[in-house]
Amino acid sequence: MDSLIIEATEDSPKILFDTVSNRFVISGESRPENAGKFYTPVINWIIKFEEILNSRKQTNDSSVLFFVYKLDYFNSTSAKYIMDVLLILKRFVDQGHQINIEWHYDKRDDDMLDAGNEFSDTVDMKFEFIEY
Amino acid sequence: MTQVSTAFEVYQFMSEKNILIAFTGYFDHLVTTSLLKNIKNKLSALQSVTGIDKKVYNVLVESIENISKYSSRSNNNQKIAMLLLCKSDAHFTVITGNHILNKDVPALKEKLEKVSKLSPAELKKMYREQMLSKRTDENSAGLGIIDIAIKSENQIKFDFKPLTELSSFYLFQTEINIQK
Repeated sequence: MDSLIIEATEDSPKILFDTVSNRFVISGESRPENAGKFYTPVINWIIKFEEILNSRKQTNDSSVLFFVYKLDYFNSTSAKYIMDVLLILKRFVDQGHQINIEWHYDKRDDDMLDAGNEFSDTVDMKFEFIEY
Repeated sequence: MTQVSTAFEVYQFMSEKNILIAFTGYFDHLVTTSLLKNIKNKLSALQSVTGIDKKVYNVLVESIENISKYSSRSNNNQKIAMLLLCKSDAHFTVITGNHILNKDVPALKEKLEKVSKLSPAELKKMYREQMLSKRTDENSAGLGIIDIAIKSENQIKFDFKPLTELSSFYLFQTEINIQK
């Protein structure tokens, strides 16, 4: 399965899901005009990636996946899609896949740190918080 | 010379009230994006160490998005909305104004009244419920208002000024404290 690369725009984040390094990065600003249109292909890609995970499991490849959120800003509509992605990742974890979630935030931005904690609590997954 | 003197009055008013941004017009996604870019530059020039520029930006985006969610669009005149950003020593104030159909007022008013009375813990609980609820337009609009309430320590105010039998002007204000 090919990596997923979507370049950032003024209102949508950069997506870099690298299936070789196992780093899956969402970075930038997220307030697309149509959040559904932007996030649906991203979510579909992750759902499809489950097949790869399962075949890796069969070959005893237990590589850890690193999901990296490095957002400057996201609007409340995007928040629901971020939640959708996390719920899928939670399902992967429940199936025995190893996933590490990094939540990067500007050290001046308490709201972004709070938002990360809120996502982490809601989905009941431990995040690694990294300030920049 | 009426126009020139009126312009001077507008200038004086804007200076006195410390209005950083005043915009009226039709808010579509392109206008919003260029407006936000301008505001982001102004805010980052403040070189805030507390990150208040981020908080203000956050409230601005959600406020503007609320305009398009609640606007009445029955004629061109009613697409015109307003955005004000003011700064005093103690706080930033974000105000939006837009036309709304009178029939939509009671439901929105009820929603706003409910949110404005909630404690931080109650707001958080409501945010979480909405986040996990099924996605409908109504819900996501609610999420924006809750988000603004959380980020501003619930300093939201609203008013509806009757215009005609059919429509009113909906004003929504948020204050964000400047921590010293």
